[in-house]
Amino acid sequence: MSSDFDVCVIGSGAGGGPVAYSLASAGYSVVVLEKGPWLTESHFTKDELACCRRSVYTPALRDEQHVIEEPGADHGWNAEAGEQSGWNFWNGNCVGGSSNFMSGYFHRLKPVDFKLLSTFGPIDAANVIDWPIEYADLEPYYDKVERLIGVSGKAEPHTNAEPRSSADFPFPPTVEHPISQHIDQAAQALGFHALRVPRAILSQPAMQRRACEYSGFCGSFGCSSGAKGSSRAALLDHAVASGRCEVRPHSQVFRLETDAQGRIIAAAYYDKEARPRRVDARIYVVACQAIETSRLLLASIGPKFPGGLANNHGQVGRNLLFSAGGAGSGDMVFADHDAAESAALRVVGPFVNRALDDWYTIDDPRLGHAKGGIIEFLWDHPNAVTRAQNAKWRDGELVWGAPLKRRLETWFRTDRTLNFEVFNDWLPTDDCFVALDRGVNDRWGNAVARVRIGAHPHDQRVGRFLAAKGEQLLRRLGARRISSSVGPAPPPNLQAGGCRFGNAPENSVLDPDCRAHEVDNLFVSDGSFMPTGGSVPYTFTIYANSFRVADRIIDQLGGCPRTAG
Amino acid sequence: MIRRHRNDRPGTQAPFDFVQLKSRLTTRRRFLIQAAGGSVALLFGLRNAAAAEYDPWPTLDAVTRHLLPSEPDSPGAAEIHALDYLRFVTGDPLVDREERDLILQGNQWLDQLSQERYQTVFPALSAEQKEQLLRQVARSTAGENWISTLLTYLFEALLTAPAYGGNPDGIGWLWLEYVPGFPLPVPGNRYPDLPL
Repeated sequence: MSSDFDVCVIGSGAGGGPVAYSLASAGYSVVVLEKGPWLTESHFTKDELACCRRSVYTPALRDEQHVIEEPGADHGWNAEAGEQSGWNFWNGNCVGGSSNFMSGYFHRLKPVDFKLLSTFGPIDAANVIDWPIEYADLEPYYDKVERLIGVSGKAEPHTNAEPRSSADFPFPPTVEHPISQHIDQAAQALGFHALRVPRAILSQPAMQRRACEYSGFCGSFGCSSGAKGSSRAALLDHAVASGRCEVRPHSQVFRLETDAQGRIIAAAYYDKEARPRRVDARIYVVACQAIETSRLLLASIGPKFPGGLANNHGQVGRNLLFSAGGAGSGDMVFADHDAAESAALRVVGPFVNRALDDWYTIDDPRLGHAKGGIIEFLWDHPNAVTRAQNAKWRDGELVWGAPLKRRLETWFRTDRTLNFEVFNDWLPTDDCFVALDRGVNDRWGNAVARVRIGAHPHDQRVGRFLAAKGEQLLRRLGARRISSSVGPAPPPNLQAGGCRFGNAPENSVLDPDCRAHEVDNLFVSDGSFMPTGGSVPYTFTIYANSFRVADRIIDQLGGCPRTAG
Repeated sequence: MIRRHRNDRPGTQAPFDFVQLKSRLTTRRRFLIQAAGGSVALLFGLRNAAAAEYDPWPTLDAVTRHLLPSEPDSPGAAEIHALDYLRFVTGDPLVDREERDLILQGNQWLDQLSQERYQTVFPALSAEQKEQLLRQVARSTAGENWISTLLTYLFEALLTAPAYGGNPDGIGWLWLEYVPGFPLPVPGNRYPDLPL
């Protein structure tokens, strides 16, 4: 039976892009269905309204939302729809997905991340398992990402450095801010080791993309130069140019249809005019970001899957992960420095590119031998309106008139805030999962995802341990008004899990190749596969694993390219 | 910023106490409007017929000039073209209808209060009377929400790209010594112009 395409990829972000690129390069025909529009470099500007104050790159919550269950009284759960709470779990719905808006902090996982259970032992009420693959299985793909996405950095000796198959990064580090040297010195004085952070941002023109132009506005903004390694700029543009990849924007997939044997026979989606359409392929790859991937599988009931696609063992949506940790800050006050230093602090554009990676594993009297994490340093986000918003409240009362203007002058002109962000593992538990909501539908009439977001208390203990180190460094730097906050609320943009991979269908959805245990023409290639998330942002690992999955799909399709790739 | 916080749209960051306050206000406003029968007009105790005939712009002009006054060394609502910007906002379908109604209909409420207390509309009051009335308004939940909302949009008029009607020639950025990014949106790639 002939199919419209060899492979249908649902979602065009960091999980979908590598599959589309690899399969098209190998000579297979690919269709990518993306729910959002197709924006390009010319559409992306440093526009705070577009990026951060209106629903431009994400749906309006009245049209599409999530119902979030938070811990309530008496060990119960309080559910609230996103339209009511304003809590937005969308992260970028356009071709390239949220990789368009990432900051591109590209840390690899470390070998220990693949075997948390066997290294640290079980933790009460946490569903920790070892990964079914090892670091060595993923390493060649990290290397591939560095070359194809374009990672700028410098491999330097560090106690916790990951093993590398290539001597160095393919591109030199991006230009660094004067504060970076001060961080190095402060770390050294404290006996810490500051790490130069690799970035998925081109420091030199390459692969038909321009180099970074150092506007100082990166994270949460789409890139206007093409330097940022989004799935769109780095992969899909090339895949489309091959002539073997078709990207269909405004295509909201709502069901994967299956036959009596349990194989997927079509992806059903709504087009821009909300007309239902179908496309068929030999293999289907789901990469909608963790929450929406689980939602799509749960919504795809069929003759063999009454509880959702690939869910006959009740595993789809379980063990959802976010990133634990928190954030801290300190103000670098201009008046504390001489004129030259003060001018250096005000420089806008170059990157801080420093992290502390001394506590990826911890031996601490209170925490014991435990998994730790990293601390990333960065200037406060440059969005001006967001910064001004804080000035209108004083002791819970509104301020306006001349007093408000004096506050704005002080807040904008007298200091610059240096932040740190802590990243540590979000332990998988039975209290963090995706289900379908029974009452709230999206604008097409389909059930939205209901997400329980319970956090394990161990995560916050580790986070506070790390935040104390971050504060220590800020004090050494001479920052004022230092504070940090570590709590149980998840960052909505750092999602993984929900369809974890493993060897046993009883406790995982996907096999070690990220093929569904129960459906042999279904792969999942976004962060859903991760049984544990590691202690770094996820995008690098999602890219690397997606390239690995792409090779397994090519194997399944016969391996031999039908045309020159 | 790598980690996104609660209630932020992608990319925004705010301290946790502010986030909680914003969340509380948003939730409270929704609750108030629902309790008032589902409309902003009813929240302010306005009759719909009266609302239809009322021109909110003169009072909105006076209120924004009071909230962000002009000074010799720094721009106020007039210099940042706050009204031009608010005309854009109140016609923008990407701003919640409820928010747009709030911006406009709060003025009629304020004028009614002004009539009751001073027997004239808000723009005709002295600076001291304006201040007293706005302080009185801010003590009610609905009033606090309204003024807070106006301040938010004044900040937008002050600090977002001139292509949206406020911040002419970057006057707000210059005042606060703020360095904007580049490229900036221009007609043709402002967000209402994008092929969404």
